[in-house]
Parts: sequence; C-alpha cells; structure tokens
Amino acid sequence: MTDISYATAPVAVREDLLAAHRRAWRRLAQAGNWWTGAERVAIAAEVRNAWQCSLCKARKAALSPYTIAGTHECISTLSQSAVDVIHRAVTDPGRLTQAWFGRTMASGEITDAQYVEIIDVVVAVVSIDSFCRGIGVPLHPLPTPEPGEPSHYRPATAQLEAAWVPMIPVEGAIGAEADLWSTGRVGNVIRALSVVPDAVRQLMDLSTAHYVPRDRLMDFTWGRSLSRAQMELIAGRVSALRGCFY
Amino acid sequence: MLLRASGEATGQAFDLHAVTEGAATTSSGVAHEETLLALAEAMVSDDEEALATARARVLDELGPEALVDAAGVASNFERMVRIADATGIPLDSFLDELTVDLRAELKLARFESTASTP
Repeated sequence: MTDISYATAPVAVREDLLAAHRRAWRRLAQAGNWWTGAERVAIAAEVRNAWQCSLCKARKAALSPYTIAGTHECISTLSQSAVDVIHRAVTDPGRLTQAWFGRTMASGEITDAQYVEIIDVVVAVVSIDSFCRGIGVPLHPLPTPEPGEPSHYRPATAQLEAAWVPMIPVEGAIGAEADLWSTGRVGNVIRALSVVPDAVRQLMDLSTAHYVPRDRLMDFTWGRSLSRAQMELIAGRVSALRGCFY
Repeated sequence: MLLRASGEATGQAFDLHAVTEGAATTSSGVAHEETLLALAEAMVSDDEEALATARARVLDELGPEALVDAAGVASNFERMVRIADATGIPLDSFLDELTVDLRAELKLARFESTASTP
C-alpha cells in the first residue's frame, strides 16, 4: 500500500499529523470488528460520493430531510441502510434523529455495532479529507483493502444508556479496554463509539494531532502556532455551522 | 464552550456570539478572528474560491504553521460533530451544569440537533 504523503503540499505538515493520518489510512484498509477491509474502503468511497448525491442535495435544501423520498446515488454494493447512514452523516449530520436511527435498526440490514463502525469510518475520512481541502492539497487516494475477516468483538461492558447506541460505561473501561480512558471523568463524545474500541483509540490519535493532546485538554494555556483561544474559536464556529448542539 | 474557559485561563473575556453569528456580526476579541473564522466557514462550505481566499489570508497574516494548525482544528470538529450527532449522546452532566447560561444566551436550542441531545 502506498502511504499517505504531504511531500508536495504547499505548506509543511507536522510529522505527528502525517503519522496519525497514515495510521488511520492503514486501519481503514484492514478488517474491523464488523466490516471487512473491502467493505470499510467501500464505506470510505461512499463518503466521498455522498457530496455529489442528488438526493442528499435535495434533502439538504429541504425544510425537513425526512419529507424527501428517493434513492441515493451510490457507488457501492453496501445495503441501502448502510448507504443512507453514510450519506446522511456526511451531508446533513445535524438533522439525524432518533426516529430515523430506529428505522435504520428496524430495517435489519445493519446492527448497532455495524452502525457505529460505519460512523467510525465516516468521521475519519471526512476529517482527513477536510484537512486536505483546508491546506489546499488533493484528497489522498483510498487505500487498497487488505484481506481478513472482521473480529466480531464486542466489549462485554457496552450497554445502552441515554445515547442511541450502546457505550462502555464511564467506569467500564477495564480489561482489554482499560487503555481507552483512565479517569472517572470522560466525555460522552469519547465514549460514543466505544462499542468499537479501536474507533475510540483512533479518535484519540487523530484528535491529539489535529487538536489537543488528551492530557492537555483542560490546560487552556497550551497551544501550537495558534493560541488555545484561536483554536476554540475555530472549533466552536465549525460546530455551530454544522448545527451541533453538543 | 472551551473558548470561554480559555479566556478565563488567560484573563480575557471573549464575546462568544462570534461563534454562532460569525465575525461579520460581532467581535469576539480573539486575535485574527476574522481571518480564522473565514477559513473555518470556507472549510465547511463547498465554495472553493472562498476557501482559496481564506487560505491565502491565513498564510499572509499568520503563516504556514497556522494554516496547518487551523485546518487541523476545523477538520477535527468536522469529525466530532458527526460523532455527537450520529450517536445521540446526551450533554455531559458537568458541561450541562457549566453552560446553562451560555446555551441560553447563544440560543443554542435553535439547532435541530438539540432534539437528539437529551
């Protein structure tokens, strides 16, 4: 597999960012807990395709996306439910609803853990693609899928709480998941993908390079070439533009 | 709202309305806010011309390292918002308590994702 490179970028990209992106791309190509490497790369390709989907554009423009029926323009053999999850999460995430999630689960086409792993792939690809757009370089070619079967591993402590998806409880990061978080206080956004533990590990890896290392999160004097306040201004504006209440 | 916390840590009071309304409406008091907000807004949009302009402005005013760091943060939150919105996670209790006044002041309940964030 050809590794991600920023050698031709118009600006020098930090080595830690490059390394985190390379790890994410390698993981993307490998079998996960519930999807094969080929399926994970197909999800990634569908992420990029979603931006051109006519149905998604019509739904985005509508007062409610749930009033517009139709079929997504897809480029994969993934199930309709999987494609719908990918396209909506990419193009209109602020208007996903619990009722829609319930209908997706009721379709029987994907399980809750498969749903979480789809979101895991979606957010990795969206964020790395967004970074490329931000600095003005072409998107990286998707990796070649690696052979292998999904592990079907599901943490024993994962359970339904107030979120739509099962999560490992705050005090439940034990055993094989002991590295996920070390304190009794962890944000729900970190636990959100924990039914797929490697998704949390990747989230922390990417967030450390893109944003703030986990151990400096509450140190508001820490910064890079930007001050923490400048970083938070950008973070808040992107969240507001995406209509994210959390 | 960690922008408020970062201001408190450095003895500054930032106007957070710039986060919800944009720099054209109000000023937060954060250095180079217009330049940084323009990049954030262009990255969320599909306007490639606006993005090229915003990128050039960051390079001119703040330099290449800042462009990498700003693009890194913006793209990080393209990830975080989708995790939150796609999983229906509730607001953390400590954040809920700390931001009651702020959420009301910024009228965050107008966001449709509020209904999915118990």
